Amino acid sequence: MSNEVFILGGEQTDFQRNWSKEGKSFMAMLREVVEDSLTKVGMDYSEIKRLNDANRVAVYVGNFDAEQYTTQGHLGAFLTEVNPAFNGVPGARYEAACASGSVALDSASTHLRAGDYDVAIVVGIEVMKTVSSAVGGDFLGTAAYYEKEAKGIEFPFPKLFGRLADVLLERYKLKEEVFMDALAEISRINYANAKRNPKSQTRSWFMNKEHASARGGENNMSVGGRLCITDCSQVTDGAAVVVLASPSYASEYAKKKGISQSDLPKIKGWGHRVAPITFSAKVAESEGNKYVVPWTKQTVDDAYKRAGLTVNDINVFETHDCFTSSEYAAISAFGISEPGKEHEAIQSGVIDFKGKKPINPSGGLIGVGHPVGASGVRMILDLYKQVTNTAGDYQVEGAKNGLMLNIGGSATTNMVFIVGK
Amino acid sequence: MRQIKTVTVLGANGAMGAGSAGVIASFGEAKVYMLARDLDKANEGITKAVKSVRTDTIKNRMVAGTYTNDLAKAVAESDWVFELVAESYDVKEAINKDIAKNRKPGTIISTVSSGLSIERLSQSFDADGQKHYFGTHFFNPPYKMILCELVSHKGSDATIKKELGHYLEKTLGRAVVYTNDTPAFAGNRIGFQLMNEIAQYAEKYADKGGIALMDAIMGGFTGRAMGPLSTVDFVGLDVHKAIVDNLYEFTKDAAHETFKMPSYIQKLIDSGNLGAKSGQGFVKRSKTSDGKREKYVYNIKTGSYDPYPKFDIPFVTQASKKIGESDYSGAMQVIKSASGLEADLCRYFLARYISYSLSIVGEVVENKENADKAMGFGFNWVPASAFVDFLGGVGETIQLIEKAKIPVPAELSKADKSKPFYQLKDVLDARALFRA
Repeated sequence: MSNEVFILGGEQTDFQRNWSKEGKSFMAMLREVVEDSLTKVGMDYSEIKRLNDANRVAVYVGNFDAEQYTTQGHLGAFLTEVNPAFNGVPGARYEAACASGSVALDSASTHLRAGDYDVAIVVGIEVMKTVSSAVGGDFLGTAAYYEKEAKGIEFPFPKLFGRLADVLLERYKLKEEVFMDALAEISRINYANAKRNPKSQTRSWFMNKEHASARGGENNMSVGGRLCITDCSQVTDGAAVVVLASPSYASEYAKKKGISQSDLPKIKGWGHRVAPITFSAKVAESEGNKYVVPWTKQTVDDAYKRAGLTVNDINVFETHDCFTSSEYAAISAFGISEPGKEHEAIQSGVIDFKGKKPINPSGGLIGVGHPVGASGVRMILDLYKQVTNTAGDYQVEGAKNGLMLNIGGSATTNMVFIVGK
Repeated sequence: MRQIKTVTVLGANGAMGAGSAGVIASFGEAKVYMLARDLDKANEGITKAVKSVRTDTIKNRMVAGTYTNDLAKAVAESDWVFELVAESYDVKEAINKDIAKNRKPGTIISTVSSGLSIERLSQSFDADGQKHYFGTHFFNPPYKMILCELVSHKGSDATIKKELGHYLEKTLGRAVVYTNDTPAFAGNRIGFQLMNEIAQYAEKYADKGGIALMDAIMGGFTGRAMGPLSTVDFVGLDVHKAIVDNLYEFTKDAAHETFKMPSYIQKLIDSGNLGAKSGQGFVKRSKTSDGKREKYVYNIKTGSYDPYPKFDIPFVTQASKKIGESDYSGAMQVIKSASGLEADLCRYFLARYISYSLSIVGEVVENKENADKAMGFGFNWVPASAFVDFLGGVGETIQLIEKAKIPVPAELSKADKSKPFYQLKDVLDARALFRA
């Protein structure tokens, strides 16, 4: 019998901040996000110490590439620098490219399900503005098969997701203008949602449908085939933390807070599948399949099955829109539309903030920003906010259950979590 | 909600005109008449506007025109007329006459000004026009600096002010600060007070390091992206003069003498050294023949430009290190406990900044949050109220101010000491404004 895993809350940094410009390192960011999160959750360092004395607390740090971005490995050990209360607390860094935050969550929840610990502090962190976008683009290339797909290529990932757009267009025999308009609408929605999110990177940026549709030219350059700047997520400095807990700790915590344990959301389901690493192998494998990224679809189905829920039970989605084409493909994977009919769900307003199945009320990777290793943790934090009715201006009315999809590479590592009360 | 579909921008070729028009045409999706003295200038404004917001989509909503040929039609068609011509009563009042002649009742008119009286400018209009007349003080560059001071005067209508404020905030994405029609309004009053007083001290300590020393003492660790005197150099010594002279003449507060512009600045202005825009001012930058950048600073005593010095001030190094580690109260602790002239000056300037920011509540703004917003969004300086908390709270801050022999503002003496003083944490994270 495995335990349920509860979410006590957390915090994210303001994704608008450029920490290099501020002269602050990853360590400063880690310190701020951990302190803000513990304050938000209502845990102090004496509580960490008390738990650690009984070996009941652990830390999990999701991070993709601090070695290259900031010449630092071994991030799992750095909470000891935040406060000595973390001395002796088990911790490690987890990596799966842009799904690093999610594999940290996966490890944390596995230990809690097994009853090994009572509290897991999950951190996702990435400092990216230490280098130029071209150099950063090359670092990100290591999330693909670098030797075959990225070496010597400027901005390899936009090109890979540009190819995803090509395959979607060809396989579903869509009219190009309909497809491109749907991608522009995805961009518009994410930016519009981000305006309601006080921690989003793009909250003061200009975007509308007209601009998202005006592809080409120096103000909206092509970055990968059909995809232009407005189809891309951002280069972002940021971190996020969630605190997960076992049923016994959640019960204790709820009592202390004067709430019922059933008021605390839990992880209801999860999925984790890895597709072939190269994009060409993915396309070859899915030839003849209704889904262009079938392993993504499978990951979602696994999570639904584990949760005993279907798409009908999910009120809000946070998806991995590293590019508009990845959100497009996710729509049918979630079961919101039939494969090939994603554009109908987009154009009819289903995924819009006020729609039946809102996707990325936070603004998503395009609007809120994409600090690579932090995104998975940021997503589950946003689902926590949604199902506890604490998302402020970007609250989806009556959200009971939420689903997140976090991917690493070109939809290689797929991770899904379903959160609800 | 007021519908603003057509806007006339006068002075559309300037940085502020073009930048503001870019914001209005993009976020506001409004048709914008871009008016200037001649068509080339107006078209130049359109190019600048596109460049500032980085979208070609606004081009087809912008109509270039001239004051002579197009003002009448443009104004008659507009829901809002935004005047950004040169900062003088003569120029503004002349064009106001033309606006008044062609304006239809109900159209909002506003001006960008750093110091002129909004009430006096409103007198160019009839009763309906006066009700609809405001200052809309955007900051440069408008797309990036989202502050807008919305200045009302005795004759402006409260409902219209509310509607315009809502439009500026919700549609144009501005951080709106409501201010009274007082000299330099909120942001510049506070900002230029500190910058001018520091310029005075630069002269007093000219032989100890002058301009460069002052910027080292008030560097990023005191909550700003750029040293105060570098900021003066950046905005232009002539602009600085216009603002502080106006404040010196028309305000009478406890900081009155600090608005007196030091004579060395006048000397620099007289010789055409206005700052970054004219190649040199407080600072001079050049490149050697092999492309190496060199930076010089004006020596107040000798009048020459000396190589920009580096200072080794231990408390500055220590405090900056703490900021780099996000230990903000640790940095403030360093500042509070350090000894020596530099530390004394740093504490004095911080005390002055906090005291003066909070002292304008009542006269200029309704509450301290408006002053905090003005400094955070308009200057990228850590707002005074946030400083109070970083310094350890109201009690500690009062001590600091008393030690500096500066008046303790009522906002502090009447404050609830048990609560955080800064109320804008969710709107403006002040930590982001400290630089290591």
